[in-house]
Amino acid sequence: MRNRNATAYRFLTPYLLIFAIFWVWPIISSFMISFQATRTVPWRFAPSFNWGRLIGDPAFFNALKNTLLILVIQVPVMISLALVMAVLLNSPLLKARGLYRFAFFAPVVVGEVAYSAVFRLMFNLDFGIINKLLNSVGLPKIDWFSNVTPAMALIMIAVTWRWAGYNAIILLAGMQSIPEDVYEAATLDRVSKLKQFFYITLPLLKPVIVFCLVLSIIGTMQLFTEPFLITERGGPGGGTETLGLLLYRQGFRSLNFGYASAVAYTMAGLAIAITLAQLWLTREPK
Amino acid sequence: MSSRSSARLGRSIALHLFLTPLALIWLFPLWMMVVFSTMPDNGIFSPGIELLPHGNFIDNFNNLQRDTNFVGAIGISVSVAVTYTILSVLLTSMAGWALARYQFFGKGAVVAIILGTITLPYAVVLIPQFIMVARDFKLANTWVALIVPPLFNSLGVLFMRQSFSMMPDDLFDAARVEGVKEWRIFLFVALPLARPMLAALAIILFLASWNNYLWPLLINSQPGSMTAPVALGTLIGLTKVSWGGIMAGAVMLTVPMLVVFVLLQRHFIAGIAAGAVK
Amino acid sequence: MRITMTCAALALALGSAPAFAQSGEITIWSWNVAASSLKATIAGFNKQFPDVKVTVQDLGNQPTYDKSIAGCAAGGVGLPDVVTIENGEAENYWSQFPDCFVDLHTLGYTADDQKKFPDFKRTELEVGDKAYAMPWDSGPVAAFYRRDFYEKAGVDPASIKTWDDFIAAGKKIQSANPGVSMTNADFNGDSEFFRMISNEQGCAYFSEDGQSITVNQPKCVDAMTKVKEMKDAGIISSADWGTKITNNTAGTVATQIYGGWYEGTIRTESAGENGKWGVYLMPSLTADGPRAANLGGSSLAITSASKNKEAAYAYLKYTLGTNEGQITMLKEFGLVPSLVSALDDPYVAQGLSYWGGQAVWKDILGTLPKVVPSRGTQFQSDAEIIVRAVQTKYLTGGYPDAKAALDDAASQIAAATGLPVKS
Repeated sequence: MRNRNATAYRFLTPYLLIFAIFWVWPIISSFMISFQATRTVPWRFAPSFNWGRLIGDPAFFNALKNTLLILVIQVPVMISLALVMAVLLNSPLLKARGLYRFAFFAPVVVGEVAYSAVFRLMFNLDFGIINKLLNSVGLPKIDWFSNVTPAMALIMIAVTWRWAGYNAIILLAGMQSIPEDVYEAATLDRVSKLKQFFYITLPLLKPVIVFCLVLSIIGTMQLFTEPFLITERGGPGGGTETLGLLLYRQGFRSLNFGYASAVAYTMAGLAIAITLAQLWLTREPK
Repeated sequence: MSSRSSARLGRSIALHLFLTPLALIWLFPLWMMVVFSTMPDNGIFSPGIELLPHGNFIDNFNNLQRDTNFVGAIGISVSVAVTYTILSVLLTSMAGWALARYQFFGKGAVVAIILGTITLPYAVVLIPQFIMVARDFKLANTWVALIVPPLFNSLGVLFMRQSFSMMPDDLFDAARVEGVKEWRIFLFVALPLARPMLAALAIILFLASWNNYLWPLLINSQPGSMTAPVALGTLIGLTKVSWGGIMAGAVMLTVPMLVVFVLLQRHFIAGIAAGAVK
Repeated sequence: MRITMTCAALALALGSAPAFAQSGEITIWSWNVAASSLKATIAGFNKQFPDVKVTVQDLGNQPTYDKSIAGCAAGGVGLPDVVTIENGEAENYWSQFPDCFVDLHTLGYTADDQKKFPDFKRTELEVGDKAYAMPWDSGPVAAFYRRDFYEKAGVDPASIKTWDDFIAAGKKIQSANPGVSMTNADFNGDSEFFRMISNEQGCAYFSEDGQSITVNQPKCVDAMTKVKEMKDAGIISSADWGTKITNNTAGTVATQIYGGWYEGTIRTESAGENGKWGVYLMPSLTADGPRAANLGGSSLAITSASKNKEAAYAYLKYTLGTNEGQITMLKEFGLVPSLVSALDDPYVAQGLSYWGGQAVWKDILGTLPKVVPSRGTQFQSDAEIIVRAVQTKYLTGGYPDAKAALDDAASQIAAATGLPVKS
């Protein structure tokens, strides 16, 4: 590592220039707007107008509750599933590995508009393939879009489908970087595969799992596309409204830019806090 | 000996018995996308269970092409994504290189900016950024507006920083002793070594640009200059929803990416491995 | 600000130029059937103004709103000459971006012109002495029904006078036609039944002066109670906009209750069901209660950024301000004219073959004079989201009764808007 200010900044300049030109002002101005009452023109400085509302707003707490619910249920399920996928894809016994890989990783490349449209068709009440299949095995069809619990489940299913493979890629890569001889030694000592997983793979993989968790937490805190496009802007009746959607709705639908900005900075703060707490909880013992 | 190999066989069968249904479930939405794209609308909304493709893809595509110039939109999307990917790979690897290889004044601040912007929801920046780019810079409906602001990509920089910092120092020190300039070291030593990571980054950036929706929707309002996802998105809001047409568009957006993914899978996975694992 | 002033002055100066001098290009943002019907009037307009080239862009409802808002926020950058604005959202624009749209008076919109439109369509479009938009269509509510399904169950639509009658008929129709729902509601993303019945009963989210919250007034409570009764009776299955259309075509729904603009949607989207559909008045809460309400409706506004304001105004005046323009849109796509004189057009009294010879417009438009004005206010979208959330919770048993539900909605709306709840 060399201490060279001029050289370093020569490499950084184009990147920082774009930040300075296109990003600094929007970030600062939205922060300042969060302290202004923007319901009526002209906007005026009134810190408690938005931040005060936030504290007592049922819509905010509803969105926060939904977001945290996804965080607590969907993220662990998805990471566990990704771990299972990665372990099994890594097995030397697996035939046609490429096909399986393709199946799990393919959703990563699907655009949000395309994927939302497919899910809406698949989960349609009367004509969706999912309800038809449920019916054909004697189960009642589910009204996915009009009741809160199924709608929330749908969001979690969709997000899991889209992102489990992405996390599996990262985990798989992590596993492949664990040296073979560790396992060979364990196999010679007649340690079962299951034990090998819990006593070798999992501990060595911990930093990678933490990395996946951090990415998922940040992603979930900003979750927007799925409830926007699949459950029709957070329906039914705000049942799947996330913080990201509340922000969008306040900014674009109600033209309440000040409140939207306050929500955004709360989201960023929460994401940082949860990430830090999580890193602290999973820190390596000194 | 034989008992061990039969146990092995049993495990192998169990593995495939578990993984095959899971893989089929995972492929199912993509398969249905293809099936829907080949069905007439009244077929999509029929009471029967339809799991096999029909022959209506061309009709659906023609509907799509009539409603929005989708082929044109794909052309724009490709050009934007290619330009963006080249520029972004260059910029993020330069920044990643600086952060990985030099100690310099203000480094902490630069890292803080990069990490901080990851947690900030994009939607909040969207409105003031749009106002600035459109009104103050007068760049609405230009290629610059589509391509340049998203070049600030924090994850890409972190990824490249990780890649460069894993390379052994002596590789570069040898060159330095011979008096090679830093930018030459970067271009002719570091970048070639980082090729797998650059490939992975390029795929991810290309994908991000290809699928980008909200920013192009706002900044490119001129008809005939929409990107493909925006063109497709406008259809969903219409009364005369041609779901078959939408699905045909979805297939056209997705299949090329799947092909790219399959061809470059090795880079993709190897690259992510380098970035994610310390 | 100074730029706007100059533009206005310039517009004023040019406004007096003779009409035949109009030339140039104008672009309009709109969506769905609305966009299609605007396209249908271009030919007639070009007979009078051959040198004006009109381009209608069908962007879809949501993108039109998003891009118009973004364009206004950016001082008019990227906006077209004319934007379609839903009445319920109109006040949001004027209050947040008073300079984004032209006061139509500066282009020659006179008090006499304004009087050609009913008051309830104009309240949201005019602020003080400024008129930001010209009324376009309105949405007198009606029940669109499948004659064959009703006949099979032996139900005479004329006998359905109250919502209770509607429930009873629904049960009969559903048992006589397996797989068919009596009606559809978008419980996922709308509150259309609550809004229609409330408006029918003269209750709205806000008072008419826009200064207080009235969503928990007794008539609204009655409306919400009735929505739950219908849902609990099993005669409503949920379907969003697109699924309703699908159901119409697939023959899995017997009745759709919506604004009059839905006539065109049924007729054009379900063209194959020619002759099977009919129309009757929306039911009421009591046998002699009111049977008229309004749902939806839009207007057209000219942006300050337009370079061809006079041509744009000429187009508005033709399309919205003449019988010829309005009747074209009614015929082609079922958009209900706001222009009062258009209601006397012979087409309105005609029996239509798609509707089995019924003169549906006579029935639907006959309710217009009885519609109670219901003001959107700039807080409409806030209130609507809250009402939807409360409705969802109430329908699944989250409140003891509708009164408790709407009291909660009222206090939430008060917190979001700062307006008092009317006692």
